[in-house]
Amino acid sequence: MHLAPIFRWLEHSWLGVFTRSLGVWSYGVINLAHIIGITLLFGSILILDLRMLGAWRQVPLAVLSRPTTTMAQIGFVLAVSSGIPMLTVKTTDYIGNPFLLIKFPAIALALINVWLVHRTAAWRAHRQRDLQPAEQRRLAQGAAVSLTFWLTAITSGRMIGYW
Amino acid sequence: MTWILRSGLAAALMLAAGPAIAHHGWGGQEEAVTTLSGTVVQGVSLAGPHATMKIKVGNDVWDLTLAPPARTASAGLKEGLIPVGATVMVRGNRNLDHNRHEMKCIYIKQGANEYHVYPDRE
Repeated sequence: MHLAPIFRWLEHSWLGVFTRSLGVWSYGVINLAHIIGITLLFGSILILDLRMLGAWRQVPLAVLSRPTTTMAQIGFVLAVSSGIPMLTVKTTDYIGNPFLLIKFPAIALALINVWLVHRTAAWRAHRQRDLQPAEQRRLAQGAAVSLTFWLTAITSGRMIGYW
Repeated sequence: MTWILRSGLAAALMLAAGPAIAHHGWGGQEEAVTTLSGTVVQGVSLAGPHATMKIKVGNDVWDLTLAPPARTASAGLKEGLIPVGATVMVRGNRNLDHNRHEMKCIYIKQGANEYHVYPDRE
């Protein structure tokens, strides 16, 4: 797959032209929004996943799950809406950057995992009743997969700038 | 379950320590300061994490990384000041990998105009 033409198109898109015109502090400010987005996303996910892996059993999962998923959604939207303009600033710099090719598939896999966990019987029942041990194990598996993919996405995302 | 948690946390901490060890910026550059003279093929851009420009030295096009945009601008170097085709002299630290024509610039001179983008590194 040849990404170079797509990268060139993205850099020359109206969003790239617009983002580059925003002044000398713009990249720093957009970068800040991206970091706040990631901290909201990963901080919330970490609490929820550790709970599903067995931490803080005295806190009911049903109590934790709503605020953490809401904050993770807000963080995700913030990270994507700041990440795309950052990508358009000098997209062609990323041609051949291996970390980009790890980051985006990792995000896709993490999102597929969210979808899979949310359609399990265990997730759908957890606000109505206590879960069976088998159901708890299913959620713990989902949480382990989630932490793996999100940490991979964050690590490779950070490494993009060091290539 | 607790051992899973403990080992998971340990692994997460090790992953998080990786980025802290790698230092952004001068890590991959030579200690020695190199001087280059060439013609501008792409003028100063103040977009992105660092200001950039490209110059041609002999047959090679060099990627020059300057200070962050705000700092580059406050050193007096703005977009459009140095036209494409102008002759410039630059000083900086080149990439440790000499196959990469990339340099982090400390100082740029065009005619009588001097720009000290990293005066503390000279």
